[in-house]
Amino acid sequence: MKSVPVKVEHEGKWVPTTMGIGEDRFRIDAPIEREIPYKSVVDLEGKKNQVVINAGAEGELVYRIASVEKVLTVLKKFIITQASAYRLNAFFMSPAIRGGVLIQDARWEKGAIAVMKTGIWFVSQETQVCIPLEDVTGIELTSREIQEKDLDVVKIDHLGENEVVTSFVLCPMTTLQVLYNFLKEATHDTEVSEEVDPLTGQVAMLVYSGMDSSAIENMLKLSHKDLDGIYERLLGMGFAEVLYVRKEVQLTAKGVRYISETVKSPMD
Amino acid sequence: MGRILIVDDTMFMRTLLKNILFSGGHDIVGEAADGAEALARYRELKPDLVTMDVVMPNVNGIEALKAIKAADPSAKVIMCTAVGQEQMVKLAVKSGARGYIVKPFQAPKVLEEVKNVLSA
Repeated sequence: MKSVPVKVEHEGKWVPTTMGIGEDRFRIDAPIEREIPYKSVVDLEGKKNQVVINAGAEGELVYRIASVEKVLTVLKKFIITQASAYRLNAFFMSPAIRGGVLIQDARWEKGAIAVMKTGIWFVSQETQVCIPLEDVTGIELTSREIQEKDLDVVKIDHLGENEVVTSFVLCPMTTLQVLYNFLKEATHDTEVSEEVDPLTGQVAMLVYSGMDSSAIENMLKLSHKDLDGIYERLLGMGFAEVLYVRKEVQLTAKGVRYISETVKSPMD
Repeated sequence: MGRILIVDDTMFMRTLLKNILFSGGHDIVGEAADGAEALARYRELKPDLVTMDVVMPNVNGIEALKAIKAADPSAKVIMCTAVGQEQMVKLAVKSGARGYIVKPFQAPKVLEEVKNVLSA
């Protein structure tokens, strides 16, 4: 097992150590001093130069490891292919649409999909993509023309780096159905059951498109108060979260005095 | 920055696109609500780029795209359609579309696509 330098989180601090990555297990040296079989891993989260690994029957053993991309790529590949997860061979295209714009050179990649506790991993020779289940915004069983044939695919819309991204999965229908059902169930909490009035819907669409409050007020001819009321509805339905609280101010006597003095001609 | 003609049958989408494109420094030279009007406005205004909705009454976006390309083979048109109609891409690309936007869209990506098409 070749040792590579990493940092691990230990008692709330990042500690430099070494790690061995083997064929069926990895080892974290002191202060952790533990060997972890890949098959005992139940969840894996990837964040830039870090991974969070949950192992053990209930995922009770949590390891946070930071290292260079090359090391983490190898580690993730072993984990994804051997961990305790629902896994299937499939073709995937991720991302296919980003922010509403079709990626013209997007292509199908042959690889595997692992559905773990908190996310779905797409893995091929060249790519490792993680979609956290909490970031999934839509699942659809649909068809797509591939090599002049209409084939069934699962379409997954998800958030990624402040953009809405669409990815596709292609595999035999029976597996596709299992994947679709699993994802529907896993993302049940974010399904929309509320009735949304047209104006609130339009505001939501404008927020989605990146319009700020002033632009929304201008476009829909709404007052501050009206827009605040609609924001409250969106917040109440769990459709939105507060980014920051906008302040509206009016000048005090001191402020007015400053402005008056600023605009005074030097001749006055 | 480009002179852009926006074609969409809903005023809401036209206004949204207008705001996005305007914020990116583009000049919105005109709007049209269907394919027939789009062709007439294109001939009149000679814009640098057209954003064209696919599903519209009377003459749809694909037909309008074909007509514009027949009138001006160098025309730059970005097609714009709703989620679930991505299958139209092939047809639109065959008909000469330079780019494709799927509704709902996000402003930065729209501006990026417009910039790419304008500079191509």
